[in-house]
Amino acid sequence: MSNSAIDPFAKPLPSPDPDSLPLWEGFRQGKLFLQHCKDCGGIQYYHQASCRNCQSENLEEREASGRGKIHSFSVVHRAPGPAFKNDTPYAVVLVELEEGPRMISSMIDTNPDDLDFELDVAFTTEKINEEISLPRFRLA
Amino acid sequence: MTKGVEPTIRGKTAIVGIGQSKKVGRVPGVSPLALAVEAANAALAESGMQKSEIDAVISTQAMSTSFHRFSVAFSEYWGIVPTYSNNVQVSGATGAATLNEAAAIINAGYAKNVLVVIGDSLLTGMTPDMALRSMTESRDQQYEMPFGIPVANTFAMTAHRHMKEYGTTREHFAHVAVTQRAHAMRTPGAQMTSEITIEDVLNSKVVTTPYHKLDCAVISDGGAAFIVTSADRAKDCPKKPIYILGAGECFTHEHIFLMPEITTTGGVTSSRNAYKMAGVTPSDIDVAGIYDCFTGTVVMMVEDLGFCKKGEGGPFIADGNITYGGAIPSNTHGGLLSYAHIGNGGSYFHAHEVVRQLRGECGDRQVEGAELGLYHALGAGFACAGTTVLGTEATL
Repeated sequence: MSNSAIDPFAKPLPSPDPDSLPLWEGFRQGKLFLQHCKDCGGIQYYHQASCRNCQSENLEEREASGRGKIHSFSVVHRAPGPAFKNDTPYAVVLVELEEGPRMISSMIDTNPDDLDFELDVAFTTEKINEEISLPRFRLA
Repeated sequence: MTKGVEPTIRGKTAIVGIGQSKKVGRVPGVSPLALAVEAANAALAESGMQKSEIDAVISTQAMSTSFHRFSVAFSEYWGIVPTYSNNVQVSGATGAATLNEAAAIINAGYAKNVLVVIGDSLLTGMTPDMALRSMTESRDQQYEMPFGIPVANTFAMTAHRHMKEYGTTREHFAHVAVTQRAHAMRTPGAQMTSEITIEDVLNSKVVTTPYHKLDCAVISDGGAAFIVTSADRAKDCPKKPIYILGAGECFTHEHIFLMPEITTTGGVTSSRNAYKMAGVTPSDIDVAGIYDCFTGTVVMMVEDLGFCKKGEGGPFIADGNITYGGAIPSNTHGGLLSYAHIGNGGSYFHAHEVVRQLRGECGDRQVEGAELGLYHALGAGFACAGTTVLGTEATL
């Protein structure tokens, strides 16, 4: 696993923690999981040990539809450090999933000029290494 | 969503000294601790106190140093042994949060004379990419940073959505930059003092849409300090005391995707709590220091702080309401956009300017008759918000 504190040219990669291991395992399998609270009905992204709304630990993991809309976006032209310099311009998107939760991701196979608010997008993943696949979106 | 706050600390403490490093902006060859000492010495001189009377130091992380406890390192360097020390880290909201904390610990009997201080060298103490990375790494390493989202991008997405929902335009944003540059041109020591036009802002290099270079704060070196003491003690200090009348804070989320509505911020709650404690309304405020990491941030804040209706911030500013003769002259020193931005303590200069306005020391920048001031600081993609209401003796 890369360590961005040591190598500024390496992209930061997540270190899954005890809460998030199942989520990142899902991404590795190409699936987006959301947690559904069996007590209050709340749906949350990202994985926690308890419900953000009612603190219940009675959570069920369900695969999301993968459908969402672009709630907002910003196209990065000045990269945050050397690791992303070769990617510019790239779009960071705030996606509102069909189930309600929002998440940050980035687009693949998409010209940043084609983005707009409320556009339909579809979940996919990009394999980075054997352990980590990142969630991505493409235009639906 | 506003929660009730009892008026517990209204008028019980005052700022009796402010100070900045000898130079702010590009200051190579002076360490962050040395910059902080310059500022502390200037603030102490204003207060008329002896160094040994300072029994508390509140600071924040200096990004260009490796100290984990800047407040403690500072005390050693300045040669004092305080009995209270804290390093506050709520990103850009740290400025208001630390002043509020100073008022609170004095009121609690936990300290008598508090030094709030920072020194940092974002411009010459680290490379531009290091400076950017230090902000970048403030974003979560699992759910945000792998997607290359600088903190600028979180603010940009809120502004972008504001454009979509309310018809706000890049020209509206540009008015903030142009207005504050005109303010900086009258401010001794400001970093950016050449005139700019709306077209200059629109045509500057794109950073992260919708923000271009002149929509963004500068990067600076500098130090800033305050001496806060009890209202009783303040009466004996040489400078006109500026009282802390109200304090409020709000922390709505950590990840930008969990911000409840990305065009409305915790500034609504923090400011309402501060107004309530102070017993004032937004229309009572004479002068404001509003955190301005980006132009659109100010557009959203004039709404959330109650100076205009939600969604009307763009036209409100384009109509001249944040400068002299308008509804709420703001950032009359130039702000983070044109005066200086030294990191977590960047908005201390906003508070200094509000104090100077209320003292009547601003010369040709003076807002005539200013008695009541607002200081609002925020950070981390609007995750953190802090408000302080300040006033002269006449407002007690």
